Amino acid sequence: MAMGLLFALVAGTLVSVQNVFNSKVNEWAGRWATTTLVLGMGFAASFLMGLLFEGGKLLQPKPMEPWFWFSGLIGVGVVTCLVQGIKLLGPTYAVAVVLTAQLGFALLWDSFGWLGLDRVPFTLQQLVGVLVIVGGIVVFKLGGEHSAEKKMEAFE
Amino acid sequence: MKGIFFAFLGGAFITLQGVANTRISDAIGTWQAASLTQLTGFLAALLVFLIVRDGTWGQFKQVKPLYLAGGALAAIIIFGNVTAIQHVGVTLTIAVLLIAQLLFTFIIDLNGWFGVVKQKVRLPQVIGIMMMVAGVVILKL
Repeated sequence: MAMGLLFALVAGTLVSVQNVFNSKVNEWAGRWATTTLVLGMGFAASFLMGLLFEGGKLLQPKPMEPWFWFSGLIGVGVVTCLVQGIKLLGPTYAVAVVLTAQLGFALLWDSFGWLGLDRVPFTLQQLVGVLVIVGGIVVFKLGGEHSAEKKMEAFE
Repeated sequence: MKGIFFAFLGGAFITLQGVANTRISDAIGTWQAASLTQLTGFLAALLVFLIVRDGTWGQFKQVKPLYLAGGALAAIIIFGNVTAIQHVGVTLTIAVLLIAQLLFTFIIDLNGWFGVVKQKVRLPQVIGIMMMVAGVVILKL
C-alpha cells in the first residue's frame, strides 16, 4: 500500500518536471519533432535501466500478445488529442478536462477490470472521493485563470 | 464541444496507457514493457514527423541539453506508474499521481525553477490541492 502510493508520488513529481522540460524543447522545435525526441529518450533510458537491473535477461523472448506491439500508438493519440484540445479550449480548460477524464476512466477501469486487470469493486465512497478530487482540480485550474493561460506546458 | 471531446479522449488515452503498460509488464516485465511501448511510440512519432517535418536538428541545438534529456524521465515514470497500479489499483494511483504532479508544478512556478516565470501563491490553488488530498483520504477511508 505505502509502496504503491510512494511510486505514484514519484511518478507524478517527475511528470511535472518532464512537462516543463518538454515545453522548453517545444519552444524551439515543433510538436512532432519534440514528441519523437522525448519518446526516443524514453526508450533509451528504459532500455539502459533494464540492462542495468536485468542484464541479458532483458532480451529473452517472452510470450507476446499481438496488441503489445501497438501500445506505443496510444502515446501518439495522447499528443494529437491534447494538441487539438488545447488549441480549441485553451490550456486551462483543456487540462482541467484531461485530468478529470483521466480520473473518471481510472474509476471505470477499476470497476470493470477491463483488459484483465484486477477488479476493484465500485463503491459510492469511491465515487464521492473522485468527485471531490475533480472539484479540487476545477478549483485549482479555473480558480485563478488569469495567470494560468501563459503556458501550454501543463500537459505536453 | 469538439475541444472538450479531444481533451476528454486525451485524458482517457493517458489512463489507457498506464493500464496497457501494466498489462504488458505482467506478461513480459516492466523494463521490457517500458522499452517496447516507447520504441513503438518513437517509431510512430518519427513517421508523423517525417510527414509534417516541423523541426530540424539545428533547433534542438538551441535547447539546453538537460531539457533535451527530459524524455528519459519516462523510464522512472512508467516504472512508478505500473508498480503503483499493481499495488493499489488504477484510481488511487492516478489520483495520487495527479496531486503530486499539480503540487510540484505549483512549487516549480512559485520558485521559478528551470527558468519558468515566477508566480505568486493563489488561494484557489491551495484550496484545490487540499480538496484533492481530501478526496484521496475519502477514497481510502
